Amino acid sequence: MFSSLKEKVGQVLVPGDEFGFEAEDSISLTESAKPERVVCGPGLRRSGDRLVVSKSGVLRHKPPHCFWIESQQRRYIPAKGETVIGIVTAKSGDVFKVDVGSSEQASLSYLAFEGATKRNRPNVQVGDLVFAQFIIANKDMEPELVCIDGSGRANGMGVFGAGGLLFKVSLGLVRRLLAPHSDIRADLDRLFPCELVVGLNGRVWVRSSSTQQTLIVANLLQSCDTMTAAQRQQLFRKVQQGAL
Amino acid sequence: MMEVSASSVSLREFGCEQTLLSRPDGSASFVQGDTSVMAGVYGPAEVKVSKEIYDRATLEVLIQPKVGLPGVRERSQEQCVRETCEAALLLSLHPRSSLTLILQVLHDDGSLLGCCLNAACMALMDAGLSMSCLFCGVSCAITADGRIITDPTAAQEKESRALMTFAIDSTERRVIMSSTKGSFSVHELQQCIAVSQKASEKIFHFYRDSVRRRYSKNL
Amino acid sequence: MKDTPLSNCERDFLIKAIEEKKRLDGRQTYDYRKIKITFGTDYGCCFVDLGQTRVVAQVSCELVAPKESRPSEGIMFFNIELSPMASPAFEQGRQSELSVKLNRQLERCLRNSKCIDTESLCVVSGEKVWQVRVDVHTLNNDGNLMDAASIAAIAALSHFRRPDVGIQGEEVTVFSPEERDPIPLSIYHMPISISFAFFQQGTFLLVDPCEREERVMDGLLMIAMNKHREICSIQSSGGIMLLKEQVMRCSKIASVKVSEITELINKALFNDRTARKAGRKCGFAESLPQERITALKTDQSEVEMTDVSERASDIIQKAEAPPPMAASPVLPAPGVGQVGHGLQNTWGLEEDEEQEEESSGEEEEIKMEEEQREKDKTTEAVVEISDSEEEEVVILYPETTKKPKNAGSSSDQKGAAASKKRQKK
Repeated sequence: MFSSLKEKVGQVLVPGDEFGFEAEDSISLTESAKPERVVCGPGLRRSGDRLVVSKSGVLRHKPPHCFWIESQQRRYIPAKGETVIGIVTAKSGDVFKVDVGSSEQASLSYLAFEGATKRNRPNVQVGDLVFAQFIIANKDMEPELVCIDGSGRANGMGVFGAGGLLFKVSLGLVRRLLAPHSDIRADLDRLFPCELVVGLNGRVWVRSSSTQQTLIVANLLQSCDTMTAAQRQQLFRKVQQGAL
Repeated sequence: MMEVSASSVSLREFGCEQTLLSRPDGSASFVQGDTSVMAGVYGPAEVKVSKEIYDRATLEVLIQPKVGLPGVRERSQEQCVRETCEAALLLSLHPRSSLTLILQVLHDDGSLLGCCLNAACMALMDAGLSMSCLFCGVSCAITADGRIITDPTAAQEKESRALMTFAIDSTERRVIMSSTKGSFSVHELQQCIAVSQKASEKIFHFYRDSVRRRYSKNL
Repeated sequence: MKDTPLSNCERDFLIKAIEEKKRLDGRQTYDYRKIKITFGTDYGCCFVDLGQTRVVAQVSCELVAPKESRPSEGIMFFNIELSPMASPAFEQGRQSELSVKLNRQLERCLRNSKCIDTESLCVVSGEKVWQVRVDVHTLNNDGNLMDAASIAAIAALSHFRRPDVGIQGEEVTVFSPEERDPIPLSIYHMPISISFAFFQQGTFLLVDPCEREERVMDGLLMIAMNKHREICSIQSSGGIMLLKEQVMRCSKIASVKVSEITELINKALFNDRTARKAGRKCGFAESLPQERITALKTDQSEVEMTDVSERASDIIQKAEAPPPMAASPVLPAPGVGQVGHGLQNTWGLEEDEEQEEESSGEEEEIKMEEEQREKDKTTEAVVEISDSEEEEVVILYPETTKKPKNAGSSSDQKGAAASKKRQKK
């Protein structure tokens, strides 16, 4: 199965495509007989002794044995440990209700901020943006967010300051932006300085020195989804010449 | 004994566009000849308490006719589409949430239910919902002299003795849903299923091509 | 389903941008988004794209009895359907405030402005008139649904052709399009609604607000006007106080926009007419963009048919033969039919024996023997059965069958069964 999966890496698959365990029982004497193990990411499901694709997209591989389907989705489904941008919709008792764009509102305890105590409550208003991390996220429970890491530090999370613009892009683009050596980010760096917060739920917040520049960055990112690298670089160059 | 002449068995030219609407989570328009349907999907989203199901997502299908308000015909088509989608979607992955699929009829020139099913599948795929398999809809008409016509136009539908629509799954080409009108023999039914299974190959091939085209820029 | 809430950050930014005379999509204050008008295959079907906002309008007509107050006038009916496809906030079949507002404005814009000659829609005065129905469906809501709907509705009405009718004495015949060419409606002028959004209590004004701008705005002014600069309807909502100069300025802007849009509609109608005359294909299918990577189209394709007949007959042959016809209905009492009574039961001994008990005493002798045999069989069988609950039940039968012969009461059976169970335990 491992080899058949590897063969398809980089190809477009659709739901229903299958990978079966082939007769790879012939244990070679030279190699140590290690049971092959595959880690399935989003879009791949195990069904009996087969691996079934459940989303359409491109099969990706991360050595040694992680496989997943990369797709352009818009609706966010919470996953533990992911950082998102949420909009506070209500204050109820000890928790804030936060809209993250998923099927259920997440709860965020007022104690889950850096330095917050029962006396010293964080200043969060309805309609504010928070950058937070999922500590509980599964399909059967209400998702829960925190704005602190394991050691109680904010680590970049918390309530947003004034200014800036929030906009939505596809989840695929967000992941491309956050990839370790993102080419989009590199292209953006050459334009002008701006502050960028990227939530895995497809929300991006940007702040720059002027309204004009903020708008340019927002519009550029929103159009990145359907462009090849060459087209994008051409557009960015055009903007650079026009804006500067 | 009925003969299946090759000339009548063809699919009209068909086309599809994905992600054409900005608001829905997934959208697609599907065109078969002149018949065209637009589909939009929202979800998994918040569900009304009255419609909540504790162990799976609630799927709602709405079909909007072009003229007037939805009536009995639309309701029955909605049910056909919903049951097909429920069979293909992995609803248990998103309990206590709602999926809404809206189908807007843009032009009816025959094989409407088949076109609705194809648009629905494309929209669900576009929304990135988990599915166990894809499905497609194929309509067949049997003429008065016993010929089988696949993907009939409205005029051909009117003259036909029987009209059948099948939803076929992509993995084993099984029939997920069938909706028939008029009278026909068991033999004719089996022939129509066999023809539809053959025709479905083309549609699934088209699905794959259009998805491949869509992702061509991030390969 | 709820819409995504608007954050304070977006609100503040939008207002700040508007103050700086900037808009989210780079438009100027008085700019409209790109308008695209497409006609469908049917007469009277029109798609309008206003930026990302999309609507579709369809005109239809039928012969009805006229209103008593106006016996020689046709009836116009307008309906804007806020389909849930356009926005998650729209619900099916619910009359929301927005839908009432839009429907009312469209009616005032197109019906009350008398832009359509309703008298020409009369067939027989007081008896039969045409009712023209305009359905506008929203497909995607990115703000300013009203302008898109009004453009779609008037363009669809101008595109529409009603069937020709012939009157011979009392008889009214409706001719199909093949028999006689259908007739266009007579339209005097084309009113088009133009929306203005006001911010900061009317300090700032934007034409054609998009969805996020609509959420931030304080008030909305809708002016319906035709290209002769006649105002057909004007409506202000949101409760802001406007100065006379502001309204005058808006109407001036509206007149410019209306003439531009009217020009566009006429051009689209002309293009469609020439395409139809040339016999080219038109409609939604043709408007599918070919250059986008999200779109794909195939040509007509033949389906491989070589072994279909064989496969079908193969399946039928392999399939189980249908069961023979069920027993004919029994009529136990007049007016009551019963089907399936007295058929062979395949559930096992229990039923058989009960039936036998019910049977008359004449055959008792033979029965006894039979039962004896059966009893032997069952006891034999029981020995082999492993320790399960059923065991207790089955083992009882030999006794119970004997007992009724002596006592003939069912209560005893139960008692016996119970006692037996107790013994077992």
